Amino acid sequence: MSFDVPETKVANFDVKSTIGDARSGTLRIKDTELETPNLLPVLNFYAGGLARSLYGGGIHRTMKEFMTGDDVIGGGDYSEYFDGVMTSVGSLTDYNISRERYEDYIAEPVKEREVFEEFNGTLFLDSGGFKFLGGYELDGSNFEVEIDQAKIFEIQQRMGGDIIVNLDRPIAPDDDYETRVEKARRTAENVVEFLNLSEGTMSARFLTLHGYNYSMLDTFLGEIDDIVGASRVHDEFDGVALGSLVPLKDNKGRLIDAIQDCRSILKDWGFDDLPLHVLGISSSAIPLLAAVGADSFDSSSYLHSAINGKYNTSLTGSKSIDEVDFSKCNCPVCSNEVLVSRMKGNAEYRKDELGPVAMHNLIVQKREVAYIRDCIRSPGTDDLIEYLESTLGQNKSMRLFAHRVVNESLGGYF
Amino acid sequence: MQETTPEKQTRKRPKVNEVNEFLEIASDFEDPLEVIREALSNSYDAGATEVEISIKSRAQESEIIIEDNGRGMSESDLESFFDLGNSTKSDPEHDSIGYKGHGTKILYKSNQIIVDTAQEGKNLHAVMDKPWDTLNNRELPEYEVTESTTRPGNDGTRIKVTGFKSGRGFAPESLTYNKIEHYLKWKTLAGSTKYHFHPEQFRDLEITVRLDDGIDDSRERLVTNNKLEFPEEQLDPGEEPFPEARMCKHYGPKTLQIEADNGETTELEVVGMVGGKDARDELPTYGRHSAQFGIWLAKDHIKVERLNEAISHDNEFIHFLFIANSQDIELSANREKIRNKSSAIYQAIETELNYFLSKVAADPWFKGYLEQRRVAELNRKASTQQKSVEERKKAVTERGRFEATNQSEVILGLERSNREGAKPTITVEDFDLGADVNALVEQNGRLYGSSVHLKLTDHFEEDKPLESVGKILCWEIGDRDKLREIERRGYQNGHVEFDLESNRITYGTKSRHTIHIVEVPSRFD
Repeated sequence: MSFDVPETKVANFDVKSTIGDARSGTLRIKDTELETPNLLPVLNFYAGGLARSLYGGGIHRTMKEFMTGDDVIGGGDYSEYFDGVMTSVGSLTDYNISRERYEDYIAEPVKEREVFEEFNGTLFLDSGGFKFLGGYELDGSNFEVEIDQAKIFEIQQRMGGDIIVNLDRPIAPDDDYETRVEKARRTAENVVEFLNLSEGTMSARFLTLHGYNYSMLDTFLGEIDDIVGASRVHDEFDGVALGSLVPLKDNKGRLIDAIQDCRSILKDWGFDDLPLHVLGISSSAIPLLAAVGADSFDSSSYLHSAINGKYNTSLTGSKSIDEVDFSKCNCPVCSNEVLVSRMKGNAEYRKDELGPVAMHNLIVQKREVAYIRDCIRSPGTDDLIEYLESTLGQNKSMRLFAHRVVNESLGGYF
Repeated sequence: MQETTPEKQTRKRPKVNEVNEFLEIASDFEDPLEVIREALSNSYDAGATEVEISIKSRAQESEIIIEDNGRGMSESDLESFFDLGNSTKSDPEHDSIGYKGHGTKILYKSNQIIVDTAQEGKNLHAVMDKPWDTLNNRELPEYEVTESTTRPGNDGTRIKVTGFKSGRGFAPESLTYNKIEHYLKWKTLAGSTKYHFHPEQFRDLEITVRLDDGIDDSRERLVTNNKLEFPEEQLDPGEEPFPEARMCKHYGPKTLQIEADNGETTELEVVGMVGGKDARDELPTYGRHSAQFGIWLAKDHIKVERLNEAISHDNEFIHFLFIANSQDIELSANREKIRNKSSAIYQAIETELNYFLSKVAADPWFKGYLEQRRVAELNRKASTQQKSVEERKKAVTERGRFEATNQSEVILGLERSNREGAKPTITVEDFDLGADVNALVEQNGRLYGSSVHLKLTDHFEEDKPLESVGKILCWEIGDRDKLREIERRGYQNGHVEFDLESNRITYGTKSRHTIHIVEVPSRFD
């Protein structure tokens, strides 16, 4: 005879393979599956525009057209590159929208809208804490909404995120100890409210953590433990999202420290079975951070590169769009005559010229992350080491970091 | 331009002045020990397993005799031996060391060369008299060859060189077994790394060197092999004050496949070690450590030139000894320099070696080794500090009472005098060593801008202002004559008077103000 145990977890994270500290698995939430390590492109579903323009304009709109295989971009199936997508409640503030438009935007879950019916990836809905509370001027006031944990949760639910996070208070590198403790305490209070509000939700809940090293993370978790209770964190959260790293994005050594220490603290607190998402860090850091145990990333670098006229050749390299020989790339964008012609400048609007570049950049990044995943899934450490050597190892300023993760996570060279 | 019809066409070939060529090539060799280097290479290439080198000092002139059990020379081999640029070892890929036909020309810098070489029952005896004098008379020296029969199976070559001259003059007396051994291991095939990479091709060569007792009688002979052997590995630190000194780790042998930008490929065979000073001392060295350790590029597995840039600047090259061999580097005639440094393949070798060594430098063992050094240094420092604490304790015990030796101790003294009831109570409320007026002191509820010094004179020597100073706290007055001089000359455009009886200074430009001198020790009286 068996008893039904109430299942509070919505997500299932199945680690299939580990080499050193790197791991690869499958994250299942509702009817979505995300293979890890993975990179979630940042999209703005509601960027300006009107409903008929796919809820958003500019280059974001073109990306959504790729996501849904719209006729405007010549159709085609790009869904494999949108197996997971990140968006933020904070993106509602990117454009000056009215209260009415806001109501319209959150009236129906993203995936239930007809325009997005082709999209079946995992939708990660960030709380926007970085935008609302990270010291920036933005708040919800331009559409007359008071932002708090309850409101954020309401928006997340109404938008229908597969993964949602509590409203957090990001730290800054120059915060002093007291400030960090205060931010942790206030985040912990939000966590309590978030868990209470979201009881029974069908979304997977990720706990946001902030800290740059073991001690900071320990202090942060200590506050959570005092206010929420460790067991509740363990039983009710489906994953962990490490934030506040954006200001350190150019310091690969500190990023590696942060991820290594985060994995250690999760192990010491008994949360090591939860997937670890790294908020806002991508590109050349991905191979390093995946090698030391990060499971997923989100990035808008594919988009920003394109806006800056850069065409990615790898996770670490790019060329000016004017110098590109598109025939050298076999991605579906560069194999499409119409899109190539637009990328060469034969387009009426800038978004039509740069949108395909952004999509190409995303494909390059996604393919490379898939390759890293394959390396982790293949037996032994050789494939991943060889990948790190042939990419980051060739760059003098990066090679020391490649050596470091090979030595510290993958058994070393000698 | 007007067109011309050729009436006569001739084809010309540039001429070589043979005598000058010989002089040039032979002059390239400076160090007499290079005779030994060349002889070893030739003997190895002749398939020898044993070679014996004897150096004798005679009243008139020196003798160098090199004898091996190789396959000997045929007539044409002997011709090549004396010819210039006519090596029989034409295939650089073949297992041979020289192939330019330059090496043996070093022997021309002598008074006589006698070669005896036996091959398959035939012995060739060649004598060349006064080669160096003849060349310098602008003539090509000649040699006489006598053929005779010899016992089959007794192959080998014996070369005797008499009166060898080097740029510095060949002084056999300057040679020692120790010097020769280290030279052999550092500069010749006796220090070869080939056995690591091609054990199947590798052939042991027993090298014996005999020096005349008049040169070095410290031992009878020197016997060595043709391998550069690294000190034994010791991965863990010792317990001595220099625990890292005997630490040693071997790296490789590793064969790196290299492709240059132009598509050329080569193999770079790298082997080496990282180690502390004691480990390095177990290796032969030729010259100073700093001139020998680091990263060597090699050809024929014999070190040629260092490429210490391959180690990033934050690592001292002295901890490393790596030999990176490529048969695609090309050497100058005297084998001292690499001459194809601008080639694509050399650049690719450099890049790859740089990368390989960046991995060695990032090896956790190496970081641990450096950490051992650092910690040991701190420990040594701490023990020195400990000693200095002991010395200071002794000084404190021996003195009768508290003595200030710096500004902070003046304040400590002041506080102590307060505690012991000195009146008036003066407390330091604020102290900023870097400020012009470095202290604020409180007395009877009033704050005074003050200056704290070990000696009163320091205030004036440091040229500190007096305008906003109400008190100067000091342990002693200092040189009173200095104060008198200041009184005499004035201070910072103002008039100053010291009344040390009543502990006052009056100072001012237009109006005057009084500054109180607090001589702290007097508060204990």
